[in-house]
Amino acid sequence: MATEAAVAERAEPRTKTKKAPKPQGGTPWWMWIAIAAIVVFCLFPFYWLVNLSLKTGADLGDSSLFPPNPTLANYESIFNNSDFTRALLNSAIISLSTTALALLVGSFCAYALARLRFRFKFGILALVLSITTFPAIAIAAPLFRLWSDIGIYNTLIGLIIPNLTFALPLAIYILVSFFKEIPKDLEEAALVDGATHFVAFRKVVVPLAAPGLATAGILTFIATWNEFLLAITLTSSPAARPVPAAIAFFTGSTQFEIPYGTITAASVTISVPLILLVLFFQKRIVAGLTAGAVKG
Amino acid sequence: MTKRLMLMLCAALLCGVFVAACGDDSSSSGGGGGGASEESGQTEGAKVIDPSLADNAKGEVTYCQGKDTSGNAHYMIDEFNKKYGPDLKAKLVEFPASADEQRTQFIQRQQAKSGDCDVFSSDVIWTAEFASQKWLYDMSPYMEDKKADYIEAPVETVTYDGKIWGVPESSDAGLLYYNTSKVKEIPATWQEVYEQAKSKGGIVYQGAAYEGLTCDFLELFFGAGGEVLSEDGTKSAFAEGDAGVKALQFMVDGVKDGAAPKAVTTYMEPESLTAFQTGKPAYMRNWPYAYALNQKAKNVKGKFDVGPQPTFEGGEKAGILGGHNSVISVYSKNPGGALKLIEHIGSPEIQKAYAAQFSLSPVRADVYDDPEVQKAIPFATQLREGITNARARPVSPVYPQISQAIYKNVNAALSGQQSPEDAIKQANSDIEKALSTF
Amino acid sequence: MTEATANTGAPQERRSRGLSEKGLAFWMVSPSMVLIALVAAYPIIYAIWLSLHEYSVRVAGLSRWAEPFGLGNYQAALQNADFWNAMVTTLIFTVASVFLELLIGLAMAMAMHAAFKGQGLLRTVVLVPWAVLTVVTAIMWRTIFESPQGFVNQIIGGDTVWLGSEPQALIVIIIADVWKTAPFMALLILAGLQVIPSDIYEAAKVDGATAWQRFRKITLPLLTPAILVALIFRTLDALRIFDLPYVLTKGANGTTTLSLIAQETFATNRIYGLGAAYSILTFITVMIVSFTYIWTVGGNIRGLAED
Repeated sequence: MATEAAVAERAEPRTKTKKAPKPQGGTPWWMWIAIAAIVVFCLFPFYWLVNLSLKTGADLGDSSLFPPNPTLANYESIFNNSDFTRALLNSAIISLSTTALALLVGSFCAYALARLRFRFKFGILALVLSITTFPAIAIAAPLFRLWSDIGIYNTLIGLIIPNLTFALPLAIYILVSFFKEIPKDLEEAALVDGATHFVAFRKVVVPLAAPGLATAGILTFIATWNEFLLAITLTSSPAARPVPAAIAFFTGSTQFEIPYGTITAASVTISVPLILLVLFFQKRIVAGLTAGAVKG
Repeated sequence: MTKRLMLMLCAALLCGVFVAACGDDSSSSGGGGGGASEESGQTEGAKVIDPSLADNAKGEVTYCQGKDTSGNAHYMIDEFNKKYGPDLKAKLVEFPASADEQRTQFIQRQQAKSGDCDVFSSDVIWTAEFASQKWLYDMSPYMEDKKADYIEAPVETVTYDGKIWGVPESSDAGLLYYNTSKVKEIPATWQEVYEQAKSKGGIVYQGAAYEGLTCDFLELFFGAGGEVLSEDGTKSAFAEGDAGVKALQFMVDGVKDGAAPKAVTTYMEPESLTAFQTGKPAYMRNWPYAYALNQKAKNVKGKFDVGPQPTFEGGEKAGILGGHNSVISVYSKNPGGALKLIEHIGSPEIQKAYAAQFSLSPVRADVYDDPEVQKAIPFATQLREGITNARARPVSPVYPQISQAIYKNVNAALSGQQSPEDAIKQANSDIEKALSTF
Repeated sequence: MTEATANTGAPQERRSRGLSEKGLAFWMVSPSMVLIALVAAYPIIYAIWLSLHEYSVRVAGLSRWAEPFGLGNYQAALQNADFWNAMVTTLIFTVASVFLELLIGLAMAMAMHAAFKGQGLLRTVVLVPWAVLTVVTAIMWRTIFESPQGFVNQIIGGDTVWLGSEPQALIVIIIADVWKTAPFMALLILAGLQVIPSDIYEAAKVDGATAWQRFRKITLPLLTPAILVALIFRTLDALRIFDLPYVLTKGANGTTTLSLIAQETFATNRIYGLGAAYSILTFITVMIVSFTYIWTVGGNIRGLAED
């Protein structure tokens, strides 16, 4: 998560990217091998997961590359498993709420940091950046005791709050760079026309910052969806357990085997939405993540 | 105006710190002074169960146990709901298969004061720890007149500080399974077993770094004449004599010579069972539950048998006493319902079914004599004898740390990271550290 | 706070409408600050408080101040071989994985840069490891290395019990982390590569520089800022690693990292004081690296903080 913060330092999708001009002549043969290697490296382990998820029973133990009797039985059983579907719902609620809150509260702070003049800016930014590097274990233990005492252990709100610890600074950090990119003249014009700073923020900056908000939102959503340590420490039952914790504790629906079939089916299922997200927003994600590193 | 606001914010933060500090102090009651008196008096003030609560119980009661590999828990819950539903319904929550993971799940809930689990299927080794933390109902009034129905050894496992903290559910003793197409009968000593295993397909057991390994190791260790704790339970006797090194060297040699596969250092009960069910190994050390499961496995069905463990050469027999007790969480919102469920589990009908259908070892003495049970468990008589004579693991509120000291070092020796001598020495000092925990 | 003149060149009357710039800034920033104080600062302070006490494992509710001066737990932690093993394991993991990720990422980036067809598709493919959850990554690699359903031993022969031996278990964890993150590094480096103007390369070629010389003297120096940023933050991520070792091995066979030993002490062994001390020590380790970076190189914060 901190890595994304580090490099998500600037704004707009790189419509202005200067691509290096294409090399003369055809692609050398070794280039195709290199590309193939990259594709295999990135996709094969995931393929292996899908492979296992389509096997059941004895097939699971024979380590073959293709499922001899492909079946969707595993997928059927995980969707019949109310614990799993509940976990999906929990994750969705936690991630969406955290993202919404982080964007809402963070955008105000980011705008102030980007545009307004006041002291301690470096200090605040340093604080924000350093919090994205907090080890989750440092807050897991005290939160466990605190939540047990005030009664929000094993609740969704009990997870949303600590997830904000990482989501809010991340959102602020990403948004500050985006806001800084927006040309000042539009705001100046609005101010001259008599708008207050706040109105200028609302009517001029926010619409222009939409891509930035989207990028920050996507990154925050993925980071929250991925959160594991707090998920296993602060929940104990399917009522509040999000997906990463549920997968780790999969006892499976069949009683007699180590449930690799169902675990892998569940793993594939929860990866698909994220991969789709990446597929559709790939340009935006890459632009946001890499722009900063380049100009930085 | 802004300056004042800033000051108020800082004040609020500081108050927060003090609240955290003070809030914490209130939970540290006087207690019984730095651990001077060992086991007595620690459980004073524990909640006592009122047996009459069961009379009008209704609502929902949740039963938590590890993964129901045998299917007995589902059966028991179904029978309960048939009998008492819809006024009183039971629900099953399954934890992962590993005993350590089940303990973590339970203590996480108890620390959070959650009423998630009304009844928990507690491994016999956790009684001292849970009772000393006052997480369980004192069941002495309920067990007063029922004690006599149960075999003594299991009842002892649920007794601590003079009180009874639960009701025995099922018992367990470590047994040795063998593939009859490879081996005709269990030889007299472990040494002979390993010797045979070398050429006949090997022996599989639980060698991963978890509680199961402590059991497997202690069976050889006790057999070689070793003791874990001193008489009064305050000092470690682990490194006294040579039982430790003898037993561990024996296990290490077994892996080196190929009597046990190298992968055994990652096996828990399910993995060792799967391995045995491929039909390749000659021996498997496991619990009685595996009998019924083996009868359903196509490669070993009809081709296996089971018996009590052999003697450690020059020593004695020492199966480990296992089993589970039903305990009621003090945070349960339906103690009456919980009591009714426990009554059901301990009833002769369920105990018989546990034995006959699922090859779990019953805790009621009379069940062993039932002809149906005798038919379903051909080794029923030996099993009861085994349980009566089984060795219990050390009783201590810090047992989990003692067990960790044992299994971490034994696993390190098995995978070749440590020599047996160093492993025993290290385990001994780790046990000493555990015993001196505040 | 003195009212500095807002040099917007706006007419004097505008300032009386709505909040002043400083006031607005305060109200926009403070919700975030309050939230951060609540969810980040408060738990840390409480964790430090916990670490200054000893909580009895045997007797319920009994606790005492950790002698001497409340630092008893820290003393115990720093004298504990397990802690130093965890520290060493974490450092080995960090160095190995970051180094490999950099290397492989660089290689991938160079390849992707030279290929001109299907950049978009390539980038999507490369983002897949990043998009897959860490927990799923762990399960994925466990199924690949664990017999009998894994195939690694079939391909390379031998009968290593990967997840059950030292140091093979740590190697599997490193491989899993490298798979997940190297592609991401590749993307960062690729972006850096794409803004290097090609004329520099042309000029170098004219001067007779070999491909290797062009790489060493042009590419690497110009890529250094991007690499540095990614390096620092990957290091910070690696120091806190928890998900992968927890799911793959639960810390067995020499894979216990700092976060893992803190969690085990606290959650499994119920030694709250010591567990909190381990957490704080982990926190301090990570923060030292973090602050060193911020105060020396400063990242892009200085630029962002400029008005």
